[in-house]
Amino acid sequence: MEQVKLTAALIIAVLLQWTLRNIAEPLAYIDFPLIIVVYAALQRNSLRAILFGTFSGLAVDALSGGLLGANGFSKTLVAYIVSEIARRVYMDNLLLRIPVIAGACFLDDAVYYGLHRLLGQQPSGEFLIVASYTLIGTTVAGTILIVVLDSLMRERLASRKREMFPSRRQTRRRNPIRLGK
Amino acid sequence: MVERSQKEVWRMTPWLVIILLLGNFIMMAFDSREITTGQRVIRVWTQSIADFVQSPVTSITSGVSGYFTSIANLRSAQDENSQLRKEIEELRLDVESAKGLTEENQRLKALLDFKEQSKLDVLPARIIGRDPSIWFDSSIISRGSFDGVKLNMPVVANGALVGRITAVSPLTAQVDLITRDKSGLGAVIGEIGTSTALGVISGTSKRDLLEMKYVAGSTDVQVGQSVFTTGQDGIYPPGIKVGEIVQVISGSATTPHQIFIQPAAKLGSMQEVGVLLYEPPQRVPFDKQLNPPTKEKK
Repeated sequence: MEQVKLTAALIIAVLLQWTLRNIAEPLAYIDFPLIIVVYAALQRNSLRAILFGTFSGLAVDALSGGLLGANGFSKTLVAYIVSEIARRVYMDNLLLRIPVIAGACFLDDAVYYGLHRLLGQQPSGEFLIVASYTLIGTTVAGTILIVVLDSLMRERLASRKREMFPSRRQTRRRNPIRLGK
Repeated sequence: MVERSQKEVWRMTPWLVIILLLGNFIMMAFDSREITTGQRVIRVWTQSIADFVQSPVTSITSGVSGYFTSIANLRSAQDENSQLRKEIEELRLDVESAKGLTEENQRLKALLDFKEQSKLDVLPARIIGRDPSIWFDSSIISRGSFDGVKLNMPVVANGALVGRITAVSPLTAQVDLITRDKSGLGAVIGEIGTSTALGVISGTSKRDLLEMKYVAGSTDVQVGQSVFTTGQDGIYPPGIKVGEIVQVISGSATTPHQIFIQPAAKLGSMQEVGVLLYEPPQRVPFDKQLNPPTKEKK
């Protein structure tokens, strides 16, 4: 069920990325597929995360004037790195996830821009300006979306917490007065 | 059992990452070549799928915004109406005089034995999507190969050049703007035939700026002059307005001017464009133009 929900979220994210820029230009600074990819990577399922990264990246590239595969490359790399970090560090706290989204966004932009420059293409806009706006937009939207996704996946989250922090079997307290008897 | 399978997944993941990254890189390397004739199948398929989402969303949002705009505009409708009536009358007079001029022009052309090479048909189209990546500025329009749109056809808005078609699906097409760094077109400052200030316009990757190169430093160039296409690039027809000069870094007798142009079309906010159903005349490759050496019989 969780798999279906996340896949549906990814499809919706790609559709939003395709359409929202035509409605309002500033919404293009939010990288919706990246948020879902990072969320999937934080679930410690690296395989799913990198596949999400590749497919969502290619879906965005296919309608973009940029190189086909550049987003696929950057998002796959980001998904792998985030899932490796999530495997080693416990990151179920929202406050810890915010810098992860920001870092993933900056890395994604840097790799995307670098690949284009490497292959002789010049993306429009200054790197630092566009990357900064994208960082702000994606981090803010990502934080909200992760809270929403967490509430949707609450069942799984609860079971995972139970797995990681099993409750101690409580020993029955003996009544000292009775013992004294 | 579960632990082992998890370990297997972790062991397999780096290899999968390498394969996927390599696949993406190969695609990029393949795509980064200059595309002039072919187009990528994956782009065509995705465009066709995206059309089912983009077209309804655009229709709904434009309908909603149009409704509110019409309410806001209601106040000034009366004044506007009378103003428009007046303008219609003026335009009628203009059309009548233009008809006379056209007839005169045709008669003169016939006298000089000129034939019109081509009349450009304009196919109106709506912009249904913009580039999903903030780093690029291509647009998706609501016309495709079913409407007769083909690769490299020029696109205009308000009579000024916007770009060219770079991918066509049955229902939609992708337009690359002239501001893109890889775009280029032959241009002339002023009117063709009278001006000698010929050059090449290329994109600067900035959204409202083009650069014109190779204009001789000895040519007189002023800020505010209009720039038009020459048709020598083999893509755009001659005589389409590109923009106006906003900055000139003067050259000398040996170095060309560096000219910056603001596009005449509002590339950032256009909603409707026209596709020119124009196919440039076929060019014979240079090596085939040369006559093969003839062997003289002794």
